[in-house]
Amino acid sequence: MRNLTSSKENTWCVGCGNFGLFASVKEAIQKLQDEGHNLQDIVMTSGIGCHGKIFDYLNISGIYGLHGRSLALAQGIKLANPALDVIAFGGDGDSFSEGLEHTLFAAKRNMDITFILHNNGNYGLTTGQASPLSPVGFRGVSTPKGNVEIPFVPVTLMMEAGATFVARSYTAKIAHLADTIYQAVKHRGFSFVEVLQPCVSYNNTYELYNERCRPFSELPQSDEEARRLALAEDEIHLGIFRRTERLCYHDAINNPVESLSRAQRSAFLQS
Amino acid sequence: MTEKILTVLIGGKAGEGVKKAAQVIADMAAKLGNYTFQVDDYQSLIKGGHNFSVVSISAGKLCNAYKKADLIISFDQRSVLRHQEDGSEDALHFCNEGDAQGSSAIPLPLAKLKQQSYPDGGTMSIAAIAIFAAVGNINYDFMLQSIAEGYHGNSAGNTAFAEAVYKLFSPQEMQVNYHISKHRMVPQSTFSGNQLIALGAWAAGMDCYYGYPMTPASPLLHYLAKQSDKLKVLAMQVESELAAINMAIGSVFAGKRSMVGSSGGGFALMQEGFALAGMVEAPLLCVLSSRPGPATGVSTYTAQEDLYFALNQGHGEFPRIVASPDCFERAFSLAAELLDLVWECQSPAILLTEKHLSESRSNIDLPIDDIPEATQTIPTGQKPYQRYEITESGISPLKFPGTQNCAEDDVIKWNSNEHLESGVRTDEAPAIVAMRDKRKRKYETIAKATSRYQRVAIYGSGQSVVFAYGSTAMELREAQKYHAFTLVVPIYLEPFPGEELASYAGQEVIVAEHSSQAHFAEFLKNKLKVKVKATILRYDGRHFGTDELVQAIKEAENA
Repeated sequence: MRNLTSSKENTWCVGCGNFGLFASVKEAIQKLQDEGHNLQDIVMTSGIGCHGKIFDYLNISGIYGLHGRSLALAQGIKLANPALDVIAFGGDGDSFSEGLEHTLFAAKRNMDITFILHNNGNYGLTTGQASPLSPVGFRGVSTPKGNVEIPFVPVTLMMEAGATFVARSYTAKIAHLADTIYQAVKHRGFSFVEVLQPCVSYNNTYELYNERCRPFSELPQSDEEARRLALAEDEIHLGIFRRTERLCYHDAINNPVESLSRAQRSAFLQS
Repeated sequence: MTEKILTVLIGGKAGEGVKKAAQVIADMAAKLGNYTFQVDDYQSLIKGGHNFSVVSISAGKLCNAYKKADLIISFDQRSVLRHQEDGSEDALHFCNEGDAQGSSAIPLPLAKLKQQSYPDGGTMSIAAIAIFAAVGNINYDFMLQSIAEGYHGNSAGNTAFAEAVYKLFSPQEMQVNYHISKHRMVPQSTFSGNQLIALGAWAAGMDCYYGYPMTPASPLLHYLAKQSDKLKVLAMQVESELAAINMAIGSVFAGKRSMVGSSGGGFALMQEGFALAGMVEAPLLCVLSSRPGPATGVSTYTAQEDLYFALNQGHGEFPRIVASPDCFERAFSLAAELLDLVWECQSPAILLTEKHLSESRSNIDLPIDDIPEATQTIPTGQKPYQRYEITESGISPLKFPGTQNCAEDDVIKWNSNEHLESGVRTDEAPAIVAMRDKRKRKYETIAKATSRYQRVAIYGSGQSVVFAYGSTAMELREAQKYHAFTLVVPIYLEPFPGEELASYAGQEVIVAEHSSQAHFAEFLKNKLKVKVKATILRYDGRHFGTDELVQAIKEAENA
């Protein structure tokens, strides 16, 4: 039995939200494995940032890509071999700034992959700059007078972009997060899980999240209802905001990637 | 000395079917047993402006299109004025009545006949084909058949228009002494350079192509997309060049042979992904089809100013392969070779070409013998599997998740960070050195691997030695029909084929290229210590004319 934790020394800060996320991912993968999924068929990608370190710690195959490109790599893998379950990890700087185009297009295409957003509201690994998801007023090394840009709201943005599974969870709620990730991977189509992840060094949001996070269990009846829940500020709603069916990309194009034999290719060229 | 060469020039507004008419004319000429070479001179606009296409036709092999035309067909007044000086001595120039404007162009009632033939509007394009057929004494039925094959829809109108124009040249109306010769069988299929690159890579096993529109590389995407059901390839337009190269690397990771392509500006965006391919050791074939730069530059014309850009593509130290096809046949075979090499050496390669090859067309026989197979039977290494196992050759075992070559316990980790053999990131000094040395050993391995292919082409012989690469070699080969010289063409530029070229070291040479700063001449001075006697540079985006090259070489020789 493969140990899902590699021997690589873990260098996340003590108390980092990533530990809860890591535990949840392993729990979700374990559950998939218990159901008969082969670990060989689960593949991960990551970008660069604190989130990316999960690549070294999680003992499954994949690509530790460039900053922002996790979702582009993940889509290329899925198209080449649709039998694989592809999980793309991304940070909020990584996937909503430099890699935003890939994030939106993966959702637009309903690519059958799972995107787990480590949302810690800042660039942790590069010492605390504001990210596209940092709130107005966020004071980081690059915004000493406070961030003046409004943040994206990942849940509603991804709904608008076309994601067919959209959820939010919190690193301190491991059972909730593990189940959300499990369901996201099982979903056929583009799954997005926003994971609220406190950054103990630059954006410690434990207190805020512990106080305001409220899991809901019933799928909202409409997108309007989902948006209302996602945008609420007094309470931070956790759960699945949208779960719909739409033809995923590789089915829509009838997955034509099929290596022809040498003989078949020669025959075509001679004709 | 040379076979008779006939050149047809068709000019008009974008949207009038200038290029299409030239294609059908080239196809007709090929069917009648002629070699053809077509160059399209067009601008970055969809309607209006001025486009023209040139088709040279000969019983002998052609390596370039000629600038002086024997038959000029102008669809509008701008074309009449613009091409007044482009005729050969006995040129025939036809235009629509009212457009001649005191020029020597012969007015024909084209607009009127067009209106009569198509009640709902049609294409002037057909007129050019009918004029070509009529003055060339080409069989009427053969012309109609060619039009039917070339144009879909509106066949009644096309036939009526073609007939009306063709009949203007009946003995009673107008007579011209001008023949399209019929010859022995020649290659019947006409290809653009882009089609040949796509087909060559596919012949060696390409599965996926990712791209973003950018002239002159876009037709790679168009062609593969159109043929995707037949070829069983994935040809996908994605959100950017950044996406294209990263998606391609993802597909390679999953075991599919992938290719990307763009021109300079798009390739600039691919730089980071190219470096990623170097670091993760992804077998990735990239096509860089150049146009004049920098920045947007001149979108639809030819250039060779990206030589050093290609050679230095991607930051950091890692082995790259760069090679440039010197003829249409090589566009096909080189794409196949490079796909083979990238899979063997697990390194990225660039097929460097230019608009002049990418978008020009010629009828050739596909060199389908000896096509290599980009292999996936890569050494699978020791147990436990380590993606970056340190080896003498620098080539590590390659496995693909979820496929048969992968065992239950194999963990396949590709890492953009410096890494251990396992693929897990490292910052440790000895591990960094070990992995960098492994990659460094691949330079030697790649040099050896490329040496099984033809890395240098030498054409003709004469008093002087002229160096060129890419499509400039084609232009020079056409010039060799009129003046003897030795043409030396490095097909592979990196690794540099120093052994094959050793005899030219220190020699006095002439260098021809499409750049203003003679990058290729500098490159040769650096690599071969040649003495550059003269450079022949053209950097207005247009291809070299044959006479122009002959004259320039003679001048260089007499200097």
